[in-house]
Amino acid sequence: MGHSAAGIAVSGLPATVDFALIGHQESWRAAADVLAVLRGPEHTPLPDDEIKDILPWIPPRAVCHVRVGSISSGVSDAKAHGLYIDSFIPPDRLGAAYTHENIARVRGAAAYAIKAGARIVSLGGFSSILIEGNFDQLPERQDTAFTTGNTLTVGFIVQGIKKMCRLAGRDIRRSTLLIVGATGDVGSGCARCLSPLVKRMLLSARNVERLRALASELETNGVQVELATGLQQFSQEADVVICAASLASPSLLLGRITPDAIVCDAGYPKNLSPNAQMPGVKIFFGGLGQITGGLTFAPDFHGILNRHPFPNVVHGCLLEGMALALEGRFEPFSHGRGHITPERVEEIESIAARHGIYLAPLYNADGPLEDRLDRQMESPRA
Amino acid sequence: MESVIALKSPTACTSLSPSAAIWQDVLAQAMTGELIAAMNYTSLAEICDDPEEVADALEHADGERWHAAAFAAEGRKMGLDVPNNVNGKHWKKLREAFLRCIEDRDFIACLIVQEIMLESFAVASYARVGKVGPGSLGKTFAAIAAEEEEHVDHALSILRTERALDAQRFDDKVYRLHLDVMTTLAKMLAKECKDGHCEVCHGSCVKPSLFDVSLSAAELRGASLQQYLKTLDMLGLPGEVTLAWVTQLPV
Repeated sequence: MGHSAAGIAVSGLPATVDFALIGHQESWRAAADVLAVLRGPEHTPLPDDEIKDILPWIPPRAVCHVRVGSISSGVSDAKAHGLYIDSFIPPDRLGAAYTHENIARVRGAAAYAIKAGARIVSLGGFSSILIEGNFDQLPERQDTAFTTGNTLTVGFIVQGIKKMCRLAGRDIRRSTLLIVGATGDVGSGCARCLSPLVKRMLLSARNVERLRALASELETNGVQVELATGLQQFSQEADVVICAASLASPSLLLGRITPDAIVCDAGYPKNLSPNAQMPGVKIFFGGLGQITGGLTFAPDFHGILNRHPFPNVVHGCLLEGMALALEGRFEPFSHGRGHITPERVEEIESIAARHGIYLAPLYNADGPLEDRLDRQMESPRA
Repeated sequence: MESVIALKSPTACTSLSPSAAIWQDVLAQAMTGELIAAMNYTSLAEICDDPEEVADALEHADGERWHAAAFAAEGRKMGLDVPNNVNGKHWKKLREAFLRCIEDRDFIACLIVQEIMLESFAVASYARVGKVGPGSLGKTFAAIAAEEEEHVDHALSILRTERALDAQRFDDKVYRLHLDVMTTLAKMLAKECKDGHCEVCHGSCVKPSLFDVSLSAAELRGASLQQYLKTLDMLGLPGEVTLAWVTQLPV
């Protein structure tokens, strides 16, 4: 199947849609870049005020075709074809006041994926938070499976924490881990995976009952657990932090952490406020994986839809759908809230790795991190 | 170009309410659009071979004339003469685009222009006006929006059947017509009239004043383009392709 109208050549694309990725843009800059690609180089980019006027009216729809390759030699057709579907949630309308409107947009995007015949759909970014893993909120479907993708996100966050501790010469077994957004699907999954490894856990969330339930579950691993609804209420300072809160914008200011803490910002949108002054803290963006078997977009959205300093880096939640499609497992691997276990994380990590999807190189707003950390370790006084 | 309904020459509203002048222009645009639609359906009847299709087209033309009359009546209730100008800059271009389809005796192209493009604009913008228009004016816009939507449903089934025969050819035709018609509509719907006066508004451009009646040019454009995209979705055109079309329109 191909399509030539409008001069958009997407010829050679298969008729089947193995996977669909539902997402939205995190900032107006990102949204502007997407629209600029769609407008093409022969048209001047839309002015910012026009973008803000037009984007909220765009119904959820496919923006581009996505093809992902596998490194697996045992798979006969080691490729999967999919669609990136944008729900066109305006970047400044992620707050609670827009919840109903945004759920309608995610439902619209899900309906589009079903109509396109997608066999598995990953709910990226805020989409899964809005649906809260409750797939009953999605349109009726027959042959389409939905996954929040949160299990692989947890896997990459945990792998990132371990890697950062190793690079920073930190013994994770002696660490005090703070999880912000601990009762969410991602936060609680991280807590379950890391509780056997750390000395102490500080769990922060808004719902005390859920916090207590999680704490009693984790304490069976022998870890010390402290709970709080506010970050200033903990008795201990954390030296490892995971930020996995559902925030409409980067606005989190951390308190009670050590000056050289390792901080994983796993939010989409990011959790940490750009105004957070933490000069000695080692921040990295977590939950990201890298595809080594090849990733192509038609039209070409490289560097636009995946705005990372390394090639073929994608959020874990979206990668989960791609990995499952490559594996031929069209099933709701991650659903509901609070079901992510270390065993499930291990399973999805194995599937992803079999197809060449691994933890992405670590980076933050200042760029790649790993070389910088290596240099710091070689000359600690530098 | 032919005159469809003879009306008194427009007089600027000196006014019953501060918003009356705005409603006068809104009604003038709507009425002109309905008259263009009536002319289009009359022309369409001339190229139909099937007597049933001829009757359908003429019935639609009558319906659109009735809509125009209803808008004129709403103006009278407010003490306004509602002008119309089917030779106004943009409306004339839209009519000419339709007449090119008639010249080609291309029934499908005619339906695409009138039912998919022009009616998307009418349905969406009338529905918005229907929400904020005072009293019977709002009700009339809402009722006509609902009627226009029914036309679209009827046309969609014909067009879907046509697309099923050769999707590529059909989509290429829609794109060609999109470039012609939607470019003009996008200029009409732009937040500012950059190419001079539209020749329908009785004074200066009404768009900046729409805020005074809880409307905005951006809202009318957004709603119209959304309706257009949704209608193209219903026809089965690929969403990623139609999205690119719409983002390439002038602003």
